[in-house]
Amino acid sequence: MSELDRRDFLKLVGVGAGATAAACADPAEKLVPYVVQPESITPGIAVEYASTCMECPVGCGLHVKTREGRPIKLEGNPEHPINRGRLCTRGQASIGRAYHPDRYPSPMQQGAGGSLESVDRETAHAAVLSKLKSGGGGVWILGGPVGPTLGSVIDGFAEASGARRVVYEAFSHDALREGTRLALGVNTLPILDVGQADVIVDLGSDFLDTGLSPTENARQFAEARDIKSHSGGGTRLISVVPRLDLTTTNGDQWIPARAGSQGEIALALLGAVVAKRGVPEGVDAAAVSALTGQSSLAQAAKSADVPQSDLEALVEKLLEAKHALVLPPGVAYSASNATATAATVMMLNAVLGAVGTSVIIPPESSAPAPASMAQLQELLAAMRGGQVSVLLIHDSDPVHSLPGFAQALEHVGTVVSFASMQNGTSERADFVLPDHSNMESWGDAAPRPGIRTLVQPTLRPLLDTQATGDTLLDLGRGLGGNMPEGSFVQVLQAAWSDTDWDAALGRGGVFSDGAESPVTVGSGLSEIQFQPAQFSGTGDHVLVAFPHSFLGDGQGAALPWLQEIPDPVTKIAWNSWLEMSFATADALGVGFGDVVKVETPEGSLNVSAFPRGGIRDDAVAIPVGQGHNVGYYASMANDGGPGETRGVNVMDVLPSSPDASGSRVWLANNALMERTGEFRRLALSQWTDNQRGRGLAQAVTLAEASGHGDDHGDGHGGGHHEGPPHTFDPAYDTEPGQPYRWGMSIDIDRCDGCSACVAACYIENNVPIVGETQSIQHRDMSWLRIERYVGEGDNQGGLERRPIPDREKLGEVDVRHLPMACQHCGAAPCEGVCPTLATYHNIEGMNGMVYNRCAGTRYCANNCSYKVRRFNYWDYGNRNFPGMLGLLLNPDVTVRQQGVMEKCSLCVQRIETARQPAKNEGRSIRDGEIQSACQQSCPTDAITFGNWRDNDGKLRQTADDPNRSYSVLQYLNTRPAITYLAQVERDDHEGSH
Amino acid sequence: MAPPPPATAVGDAMTPLPVPRDSRANIDIMAVTKGFHWPWFIALVLVLIGVAQAGLTLAYQTYWGFGVAGYQAPVFWGLYIVTFVFWIGIGHAGTLISAILFLFRAKWRNAVNRGAEALTVFAVLTAVLFPVLHLGRLWKLYYLLPYPNQRGLWVNFKSPLLWDVFAINTYMLISIVFFYIGLIPDIAMARDRATGVKKVVYTVLALGWQGTGVQWKAHSRAVLHLSGLATPLVLSVHSVVSWDFAMSVVPGWHATIFAPYFVAGAVFGGFAMVIVVLIPVRRIFKLERYLTDYHFENMSRFILLTSTICGYAYAMEYFIAWYSGVEAEQTSFWLRLFGPYWFSTWCMITFNVFFPQLLWIKRLRTNLPFLFVLCFFINLGMWFERYVIIITSLSREFITGAWGLYIVSPVELSILVGSFCWFSMWFLLFLKAFPVIAISEVKELIIHEKEHGGAH
Repeated sequence: MSELDRRDFLKLVGVGAGATAAACADPAEKLVPYVVQPESITPGIAVEYASTCMECPVGCGLHVKTREGRPIKLEGNPEHPINRGRLCTRGQASIGRAYHPDRYPSPMQQGAGGSLESVDRETAHAAVLSKLKSGGGGVWILGGPVGPTLGSVIDGFAEASGARRVVYEAFSHDALREGTRLALGVNTLPILDVGQADVIVDLGSDFLDTGLSPTENARQFAEARDIKSHSGGGTRLISVVPRLDLTTTNGDQWIPARAGSQGEIALALLGAVVAKRGVPEGVDAAAVSALTGQSSLAQAAKSADVPQSDLEALVEKLLEAKHALVLPPGVAYSASNATATAATVMMLNAVLGAVGTSVIIPPESSAPAPASMAQLQELLAAMRGGQVSVLLIHDSDPVHSLPGFAQALEHVGTVVSFASMQNGTSERADFVLPDHSNMESWGDAAPRPGIRTLVQPTLRPLLDTQATGDTLLDLGRGLGGNMPEGSFVQVLQAAWSDTDWDAALGRGGVFSDGAESPVTVGSGLSEIQFQPAQFSGTGDHVLVAFPHSFLGDGQGAALPWLQEIPDPVTKIAWNSWLEMSFATADALGVGFGDVVKVETPEGSLNVSAFPRGGIRDDAVAIPVGQGHNVGYYASMANDGGPGETRGVNVMDVLPSSPDASGSRVWLANNALMERTGEFRRLALSQWTDNQRGRGLAQAVTLAEASGHGDDHGDGHGGGHHEGPPHTFDPAYDTEPGQPYRWGMSIDIDRCDGCSACVAACYIENNVPIVGETQSIQHRDMSWLRIERYVGEGDNQGGLERRPIPDREKLGEVDVRHLPMACQHCGAAPCEGVCPTLATYHNIEGMNGMVYNRCAGTRYCANNCSYKVRRFNYWDYGNRNFPGMLGLLLNPDVTVRQQGVMEKCSLCVQRIETARQPAKNEGRSIRDGEIQSACQQSCPTDAITFGNWRDNDGKLRQTADDPNRSYSVLQYLNTRPAITYLAQVERDDHEGSH
Repeated sequence: MAPPPPATAVGDAMTPLPVPRDSRANIDIMAVTKGFHWPWFIALVLVLIGVAQAGLTLAYQTYWGFGVAGYQAPVFWGLYIVTFVFWIGIGHAGTLISAILFLFRAKWRNAVNRGAEALTVFAVLTAVLFPVLHLGRLWKLYYLLPYPNQRGLWVNFKSPLLWDVFAINTYMLISIVFFYIGLIPDIAMARDRATGVKKVVYTVLALGWQGTGVQWKAHSRAVLHLSGLATPLVLSVHSVVSWDFAMSVVPGWHATIFAPYFVAGAVFGGFAMVIVVLIPVRRIFKLERYLTDYHFENMSRFILLTSTICGYAYAMEYFIAWYSGVEAEQTSFWLRLFGPYWFSTWCMITFNVFFPQLLWIKRLRTNLPFLFVLCFFINLGMWFERYVIIITSLSREFITGAWGLYIVSPVELSILVGSFCWFSMWFLLFLKAFPVIAISEVKELIIHEKEHGGAH
């Protein structure tokens, strides 16, 4: 044994010390370069592919941003005429479906244990084929709306298998479709161009949030109200709804009509307008007067419980307007007279001259329309009667969204699901043949005449899945059917053979002006039997089941961003709530979070109360979309684990019977409520809506906006504006000689609160999802939030531990949506107090954040006057991107470690991406070359990003508005690089104040 | 004192002198360190358990992150900083007694200064833990220190937290040195009476002290100079700590009164803690002869004075908030009184301002059970004062939409209990290791009294 000499000893000590030190350091990870680099990929450079969003039937165009072969972000396709480059919250979040932990890894078969077990594809296909072959006439295929090519494959398969095809959509707007047929003679959904109208009366369509085409309509609405081009304030919006919804918060007047009275109001309006203006040429005046019959404004006002003068003023406005538009009730207010109401409204639009301008009637589509409730009842009856031997279900979750479906499903012989992700329906299936995610699929869409778009894969299939088109082709061939040749993509190419495939693929599709259909006004009027809305149940409160802003018919509940981003109206995340007025809450003896039992003839459910000022005393409301007991994010109530039902499915207490015309009814029950004594706290992200006169979200009158106003306002309807903010100029908060001072201008008059920017920010910047319990603790990590204030506020209240929103009042619409992110202050309070210089002022005036240098004293967050800093309470970066979701991370943005502070970086990675080419070309970065993620997504163009030092740039042009520009908390002299443009109070109504 | 030796006969001159009996002060005070005291032992076991559980909690929090604690936006500082400021405040009485009262030649301080200095050192040792364990990434603590490095990283001297690093470290250093220098003659005394291992330790710590004139001269000069150095520290440390708040823009923090207000509060709380600790020590170890009512009365007067200053500062805070006309300030203070944390605010005002007014009554100033209870409540009130300042202000700031709440979790409570145990642990060990009363100074006082018309 050799002796340990001094040198060896020192070596050993050195090695030991080094090893100890290494063990303490963060673990080393390897970067592995491509061995053979794919031709189209340059590491570090994003490649974008055009595609189509399939999250809802609107069919917005996408640019899928990919890095090193995986999609990391969705943006709107600027060439697409519907969304013009913008994308809504749901669209932003839909990228998560590709990497979702709920995805089926392979074909599944119901095992002996009653749960799905993995099975190989051949076995599964053979088993399904044998079921189909022995199915006789009892094969049905049920599913959501799909693109024309997949539709044709489904039709081919249906022919081969003898299946009956039912297109199912929970929010099918079947009443509107049928109403349009009755009033205008075309069986189609109208296309709304709300920007063409100068007065819009909304009878509950919620068109800015959950209507037919929210992203498009929000853009049109914002443009039509742009204060620079419309000195008169532009389009006015008057809402006639029982609860303050997102659309109403953006309007100018709110007539808080009783739920279900919309039909009578529409009828009375039609009668009054026709009385003044007569019927259009060629319309049977007798039929119209037969319809309007005994209706009168007085009767409607009584039924709606609003002053008759309000309705009279409404008629005046409709008649005075050059282009008036009346929007029919949406899903939430589809009562037992939904079809007749929709027909009346479309008739009214025809009389007002809106048809052809703001209401565009496309030709009837050759694709099958979503089934009406009456048709669905046929299917349910067949299922219950045991006449359905094989039911194939694709792109939908009817167990969740169709009352009575789950029970009927038990009588079905074999259920085959094509779901890509687990849902309540697929978990009950005998076979699951999982589809690709949209990011892995080929496909197409034809959302309206003149628009045909392609879906193209941007990701190699991650799991053992197969496109539903290919599966159906295989099955159809197995049945000996006459299926088209080749794979689904070849079928798709064949269907597109009339176009330049490569060009269409590059642009995302082919876009041309759509044809309009000739209309025959009043053709079906005689079919309408108008009845006032009927309600069943014994309670005193009408139960309004309204579509959640993000969750759609419930399929959005699986996407964590849609759960975590607070509902734009109530600011509640992650659960269901029961809206009720304060009077109702007092009568029940409940407060915020107290669980209330809601009972209707169809059943009962327990849900936490949310008292608010913005709802009538005779209505209560529950959002649609929650109540899943399947899925990683969709269930997992209280973050307890999958399988525990999150929230309630309000459809459980809604009737399944259709209205007189066969359309689906959502507003039909009175609710009997009872206090349970339980308490369940809701994740309310913003407590008070009272800004206490602090001028956080400011407003000016119309006169002030155009520079003619009295500087101090008239004390009514806003008028609070501190004047031009630039006692300093944001351009100077950089090092001398720097060409750039990045910043933003946010127009809160344009912002409608939709929260698309928030979703874009989450995905772009790897912001983690924290879950419900953490959201309740205000530990959400969003870099950008939308605050919501009502009016100027006052210095009352705030004494409660958790002040809940209480400044809403019936009939008042002064709601201000204030997007709040890091202000990148010139004199930032956070920078001075950081002991380690982890947050610092960079040479371009931005407030930088060096995560690696942050020790976590959190002083910066305390001192931030805007409260925009977020702290990593847990190791979110490692733990909160479960499974494949980590693949979604943007490689340009650091994933933050436990214990560090983070906040909006003004998308510094996008600035740097633009800087390199500019440097290579020896030029400065051009105006508009950089779009922050929030700006890129914003449907209303409320956010302008740019360089304060560029005097001709868009930012300067937008922000330098002496009448509306302001900085939040200007008196603190933090010199923010984000300035706001005050909301404009177009306060010209004599209504309900 | 021992009676004078009897007159000796001539023959007795041949026998060795009897070993002189030790002085009574030596015997009484050293008795504390000798022998076994059950209350002491039980207390030590309990506090060690308390420290251990807090250590485990800290490990748990460090591993999982601050999610385990009750922190939630917008209250980013919670119990840890509250308790930090509390302990720093406790540390103030010691330095005040040892430095300022020394310079003012307030003789009565001699009996209490050792205990107070020890409290200071241990309070600072407790306080320094908190800025560390409240770091999101406490393993990056060294980021807060300005050390030269290749990466060119430097610290931000503009940040009050960095001033804190320096202020607290300076204070800790000076307190320890002061404490130690004062101990040297007593350690030497202990050395002369110790055996075995203790002898070795005391020998090293005594630094060769022989009590010669030259040494005494150097010693008193050192104490004098250190007093001069420490005097500004009494004012500066808590001023700097107060600037952690006053330098911010947070409504309720951003106030010029903070530095004097915090210093007065610190002295107030510090004296209260000295009383709370010394009353049981005096009783258990029978030191009534040295810690007399006179001492407690003097400290009570200090408490009365500083309580009044605090009361004035509270009133001024509210007045200025109202007078500023800034709605955010007004709201912040209104909500302190009547908002979600009203309880802590009223505790603070009652315990810190109303209760101490009873000390105007002389009888109560010397009533030790009363003083003990009163000072206990004062300590509670001073803890609540920091709670009010930090938690209520942060929970209701400018952006009303971001208002929130802070709910203390078991994790913070565990660490809070642990901090008291940690502090007590040091004090208990100190009791057994060193004389709790500065023997040399007490003797000086006794001699002084004799010479100048004292007891005889």
